[in-house]
Amino acid sequence: MNRYRSSNRRHLAVWFPFLPTDRLLVGRAEPPVAPLAVVVKDKGALRLGAIDSAAAAIDLHPGMTLADARARVPGLEAVPHDPAADEALLKQVLDAFGRFSPMVAPCRPHGLMLDVTGCAGLFGGEAALSSRARALAARAGLQARTALSRTPQTARAMARFGPGGVVPEGQDRDVARGLPIEALELTAEDALALRRAGLVTLADLDDRPRAAFAARFGRDFPGRLDLILGLADSRITPHRPAPPVVADRVLAEPVLTDQAVDAVLTDLLSDAAGDLERRGCGARLFVLTFFRVDGRVRRVGVGTARPSRDAPTVLRLFKERLASLAAPLDPGFGFDQLRLQAGRLQPLSPRQDDFHAAPAKAEALDALVDRLTARLGPDAVLRIEAEDSHLPERACRMKPAVQVGRAAGAWPERESGQPPLRPLQLFDPPQPVEAISLAPDGPPARFKWRRVTHQVTRAEGPERIEQEWWHRDRARVRDYYRVEDVQGRRFWLFRAGRFGDEPEPRWYVHGLFP
Amino acid sequence: MNVPNYAELVCASNFSFLRGASHPKTLVLTAILHGHTGLGLADRNSVAGVVRAWSALKQLRAEGWTPPDKVREGGAPGEIGWREEPPADPAVAELVKARANAFRLLTGARLVLEDGCPDVVAYPENRAGWGGLTRLLTLGNRRARKGECLLRLNDLSTHADDLLLIVVPPRRLDRLDTTLTRLREARPGAVWLGATMHRQGDDRRRLARLKAMAEQSGTPLLAMNDVLYHHPGERDLQDVLTCIREGVSVERAGRRLQANAERHHKTPGEMARLFADAPEALAETQNLLARSGFDLKQLRYEYPEEPVPPGWTAQAWLEELTWKRAMSRYPDGLPLKVRELLSKELAFIADRALAPYFLTIHDVVREAENRGILCQGRDSAANSAVCYVLGITSVDPNAHDLLFERFLSTARDEPPDIDVDFEHERREEIIQHVYDRYGRERAGIAATVIRYRPRSAVREVGKALGLTEDVTARLASVQWGQWGESIPDHQIVQAGLDPANPMIRRAVDMAERLLGFPRHLSQHVGGFILARGRLDELVPIGNAAMPDRTFIEWDKDDIDELGLMKVDLLALGMLTCIRKAFDLMRAHEGVDHDLAAVPAEQADVYEMLCKGDSIGVFQVESRAQINMLPRLKPRRFYDLVIQVAIVRPGPIQGDMVHPYLRRRSGSEPVTYASPGPPHDPDELRKVLDRTLGVPLFQEQAMKVAMVAAEFSEAEANGLRKAMGTFRGDGTLHVYEHRFIGRMVERGYDPQFARRCWEQIKGFGSFGFPESHAASFARLVYVSSYIKRRHPAAFACALLNSQPMGFYAPAQIVRDAQAHGVQVLPVDVNRSAYDNTLEAGRNGLDLRLGLRQIGGFRQDWAEALVAARTLPFDSLEVLRRRARLPVSALRKLADADAFRSMRLDRRDALWAARRLPDDDPLPLFTAADERELADEPDALLPCMSLGEHVAADYQTLRLSLKGHPLAVLRPVFEAEGVLTCAEVEAKRSGRRVKTAGVVLVRQRPGNGKAIFITLEDETGVINLVLWERTFEAFRREVMAARLLAVEGVVEKSPEGVVHLVADRLYDRSAELNRLSPSHSPAIQLSGADEFVRPQHPRDLRVLPGSRDFH
Repeated sequence: MNRYRSSNRRHLAVWFPFLPTDRLLVGRAEPPVAPLAVVVKDKGALRLGAIDSAAAAIDLHPGMTLADARARVPGLEAVPHDPAADEALLKQVLDAFGRFSPMVAPCRPHGLMLDVTGCAGLFGGEAALSSRARALAARAGLQARTALSRTPQTARAMARFGPGGVVPEGQDRDVARGLPIEALELTAEDALALRRAGLVTLADLDDRPRAAFAARFGRDFPGRLDLILGLADSRITPHRPAPPVVADRVLAEPVLTDQAVDAVLTDLLSDAAGDLERRGCGARLFVLTFFRVDGRVRRVGVGTARPSRDAPTVLRLFKERLASLAAPLDPGFGFDQLRLQAGRLQPLSPRQDDFHAAPAKAEALDALVDRLTARLGPDAVLRIEAEDSHLPERACRMKPAVQVGRAAGAWPERESGQPPLRPLQLFDPPQPVEAISLAPDGPPARFKWRRVTHQVTRAEGPERIEQEWWHRDRARVRDYYRVEDVQGRRFWLFRAGRFGDEPEPRWYVHGLFP
Repeated sequence: MNVPNYAELVCASNFSFLRGASHPKTLVLTAILHGHTGLGLADRNSVAGVVRAWSALKQLRAEGWTPPDKVREGGAPGEIGWREEPPADPAVAELVKARANAFRLLTGARLVLEDGCPDVVAYPENRAGWGGLTRLLTLGNRRARKGECLLRLNDLSTHADDLLLIVVPPRRLDRLDTTLTRLREARPGAVWLGATMHRQGDDRRRLARLKAMAEQSGTPLLAMNDVLYHHPGERDLQDVLTCIREGVSVERAGRRLQANAERHHKTPGEMARLFADAPEALAETQNLLARSGFDLKQLRYEYPEEPVPPGWTAQAWLEELTWKRAMSRYPDGLPLKVRELLSKELAFIADRALAPYFLTIHDVVREAENRGILCQGRDSAANSAVCYVLGITSVDPNAHDLLFERFLSTARDEPPDIDVDFEHERREEIIQHVYDRYGRERAGIAATVIRYRPRSAVREVGKALGLTEDVTARLASVQWGQWGESIPDHQIVQAGLDPANPMIRRAVDMAERLLGFPRHLSQHVGGFILARGRLDELVPIGNAAMPDRTFIEWDKDDIDELGLMKVDLLALGMLTCIRKAFDLMRAHEGVDHDLAAVPAEQADVYEMLCKGDSIGVFQVESRAQINMLPRLKPRRFYDLVIQVAIVRPGPIQGDMVHPYLRRRSGSEPVTYASPGPPHDPDELRKVLDRTLGVPLFQEQAMKVAMVAAEFSEAEANGLRKAMGTFRGDGTLHVYEHRFIGRMVERGYDPQFARRCWEQIKGFGSFGFPESHAASFARLVYVSSYIKRRHPAAFACALLNSQPMGFYAPAQIVRDAQAHGVQVLPVDVNRSAYDNTLEAGRNGLDLRLGLRQIGGFRQDWAEALVAARTLPFDSLEVLRRRARLPVSALRKLADADAFRSMRLDRRDALWAARRLPDDDPLPLFTAADERELADEPDALLPCMSLGEHVAADYQTLRLSLKGHPLAVLRPVFEAEGVLTCAEVEAKRSGRRVKTAGVVLVRQRPGNGKAIFITLEDETGVINLVLWERTFEAFRREVMAARLLAVEGVVEKSPEGVVHLVADRLYDRSAELNRLSPSHSPAIQLSGADEFVRPQHPRDLRVLPGSRDFH
């Protein structure tokens, strides 16, 4: 690793003081009419988590209860806190700031730290760099404060607790001495203790023997102070994405045939499997990238229903997939590089198979699902998932089998020895029939469906399902009957609406029993 | 077709919390209207709702219509409203009456067993069966956490004697057989198998299976509908309840909701049609109904016998005690008046057989006496001569006019009502004593039914309907209209919501339907039920959330309804304060007092009160009371009784205050409204002469109704019950018509009649009876006496009893200083945990105790005091000897408590910070050596006065060094801001500017005005803000800790000053000038209504001891 002296390095701290609210305001066409706050739930009470500058200007502050804030500002707009969205935005901004320097790291909360050593020249000097950074933030809708100095700590303190700006080389200490002690970011108790002692600025601390502070505020206190005053060195850990499982083969001789591709793929898979095993993981997504000699790139992926690192299985899936591609692989003059990436990692503990045991039934089914999905695409292999609803047409749903997995919802239990109350298949939509029945809730005596009249000999019911009153377009109440006609055919019929209703109740057949 | 008889025997009311969706009485009424012959009410593991059903039936039998529902509207006593059913059609009422008299009500419980067995509904066959059922439920309750009941089939089969059992089949019938067999073995001939026809598709097939099972096992089949609500239209409400229970939104609730709306009361004809395959199941309902011979009226209450020694009858023992104690109460001889009274009362008590009641209370009071706990009884019976001599109250019947009459004259055939207040810090001792003496199976606290109020209802409904928290919070903040009225659209708009949004409207409507539904049971504040026999054979007992507390399932109204005796053992902070003051006076001044022995009618005490000098005094310390004192000018005990009662909603709404004051000051002649001939023109004189012709007390208003409007006993009782409805329409308008109509008819001035009526309406929820006021007035007098004669002891005791009363420690200390008490700072070498008295140059000085330091623990203080054999001379010595943790030392330093070691706050803190966190090394401890080496002086900057004051407020919430405003005075002086004292001296009508820290903000009554009290170094000033000003300066009012105001001085003839503010400025930022780093914490008074946000309804009429203007 390159050792470097940080004494000649330069760091830019960027802070987005209103990141959560700025994020919300970006998407809006109109300027806000009322102060905006992000609220969090804390022990049953809603509290302000972050506020916008308008709210800050009228003395609202994070931590106060929403009720309290509303009592002062009835019009306050409150939006639920979404830390994940904030974090995502920060990541996004971080990528954008990569243009100033490759050395970028998040500086939480709501900030970034850039090592801009040697970069300023490209942007016309440090002051120009700083204002470019702020302009970039402004284009993303974020208010930002920046500070540039030698150590990241000085920069951070200057951005968040001081005036910001550029601290000329060699002046870190002089400038930072003017910062309030809050810049040390101590616990509230320690900060209060310092203030109670009458020590208000970093200068008050800097002028006194460090030992006195070490004895009172912990051994690392003087070090912390020195970092902010620029008296010690430190560096940042740049942010990089977690390295995925990647296996690469750069081929001396481009491959052209399927067999050759299979061979390389086998190699890649065994590399990746080894890597996955070391991590104790399996992957649910494998992507194979083909680099053609002429520079074209083609990606092909397969997914699995359960995490896997079993090379033969994945190989089989790839073969199925490659065989069924709508646009077949075109090697042109051959592929000179193949890369396999494994993603969606999940923990998978190593397992010793029983020597004789056949794979469990469920696993065999999963494997089948994987193979079919690989060949036909996820939307073609479906599984029925139980939905929690009384309405028959909502009681289940078809979903891609790879997504549903094992947990297919809770199906209602049936008592053994009792016939099923509902047919397996439903007509969608139910088919209208004409029927004659006894008031108020008798089964149909006969009905006409598709111009055929059925004489009902046996019937059971009704099963009454009320409308879902909370829906805007609610269906009418239904009385379902299981009926059998003279020929022994069995139907599932229902009457929508009650006797005496306006409009009159209508009959439908919703399914057939075997 | 001939309709068979039917009775629905499996009904759940809304006391099956979050399951049943109808009130018990609605279920009863609907059953009667449907022509059922009876009803079985069985709530989930509980009998909490049965008394409601039972008393509703009683009412229906008598009147053909149900009484209004009582609804709790606020937390304080008396905040009660009534919800009325729409008035009945007389013809229907007659029909209902006839049917109700033939109607049978079964009261039982649905036992939900935890071992997966089907539910079993149990009804008592006779009185013994009831006892068995309640004991079974008690067993289940006591082994579970509060609100749960754990029962197994085993428990049921061993406690099944005298019970009639209905097995409720679950959806799957496979496990039913075993349960049936077990129960049939345990209770042959008294087990039924229930069957429902809920339109689930396979109803008939299922019925056939059940029928076969019933035949095979020899248990008769019983038709039922397993009712959850009285009308199918309540299905949506039941769905919402399910969602609340399950914590899901209705969209996601799925099959947790019922598929259809079948679980309502169905007519016998419909049931017969549904059970056409098994008509015998319908007939079986009549068999079961006939089997039960139990009715709640069989519950006979008997007084406990402990207080009566063997060989005595209760009455004889009471008389013995009374005469014996009378001698010691009146050592100079029993006055004739008292002797006559005692005889009269004892005869009355004998006549009503109430002796055990008085003895039981005496028993509790004597225990308190033995333990040195102050207590005082109140309410009608408490102010009797008997209670005085027994030490239950301290209002001397010889010196004061009698109030027992009200009790004597009541025709109500129910036990009297005595509440006993105890010192709030020591009441738990008494409660535990009662449990010990009577046993947990014989003593229990009454329940309080926690019901849905607007806020909770809309919040939970909103959640169930899937509204966001922000929207429900906004809806909850809407000011709700009257009962039964919808929230008007403009209020929804005001909350920033769209009334046209169907979701919003639905949430509001649904919440309105949910209002008044019971949500869970909680324990009553102190109402005890004591019984001679086992209480758990009367009513189930369960665990409370508090450790060592058990409570019964019935609340105060149920208990009244059944005629059980209840003793209210309540907590009163002022009694703690008075006892502590007595202790201090005994220890430091050699004066020994008890409540009764404080010298009566001392002129200087009244003199002090007349000046409005009453901070800290019981009841009359609020701003409104302080303003009233100089107007009312109390000179004798009875004036205090009036003072206590007059600053209340009733007299104010009835516009009785000003007439009374004018008559008292002599500017208006005392006249008595009189009727026209031939009626006795003086008929009201007897009722009103004590209050100068103006009705002020609750019972006077009632008496006026009876005398001037010729209300019968029954009408008066009805009026009493209906009184709370002034917000709704209810039955009150019927009485209004009668009341005013008859008074006018009898020749009274219509205006007077109307005013009396307004007052009755005001009394409705907040009645203050005279007897009550008298008991309180005694405490007013005693506390005033102590404040006047022993100001140091008073302030000290008051501080040691915190939190209580209106004022924060800072105001108590200031008031003590204003009365010449020297207040000394907290110091490690002088202070104890409590505040203490020290002999000073001019009498007793008050030494602040360590308890005033925020967060300082009592055990630290005790360790410190114990280790203080020699004065501490250094921090390290202190730490070593007292073995205090560093955090304790830091708190002491923060509080500037090391001055006697010549360490000021800053140096002490700096030194305390240096101490290591862990225990001192044993070696150093043993050698008494210093562990820490010397270090160079840190040369910390000197602490300014402003910083000290601010830090004092941060740590102690008060400062003896100065007032924040004194430090800031130069700033304000430059702006022409006057001190509070200067404003006080200005003439009425002058425009002034002033500033002060905010002590209390209140928004009483109709909310048209806001009252704010400001304080500076010279005193306090009261601001009045009209609503418009408030809305314009809302943020200032809500946020400011230091407020500057401009306004006009308004002065009453008695010299009471208000500043009518028209401009406000939030100057809190100035507080930072004291010290840029310390922001002083100004403690708002406990009465501030904006810190503890209350529902606007609760704000509108304030409870008892709060401000009312």
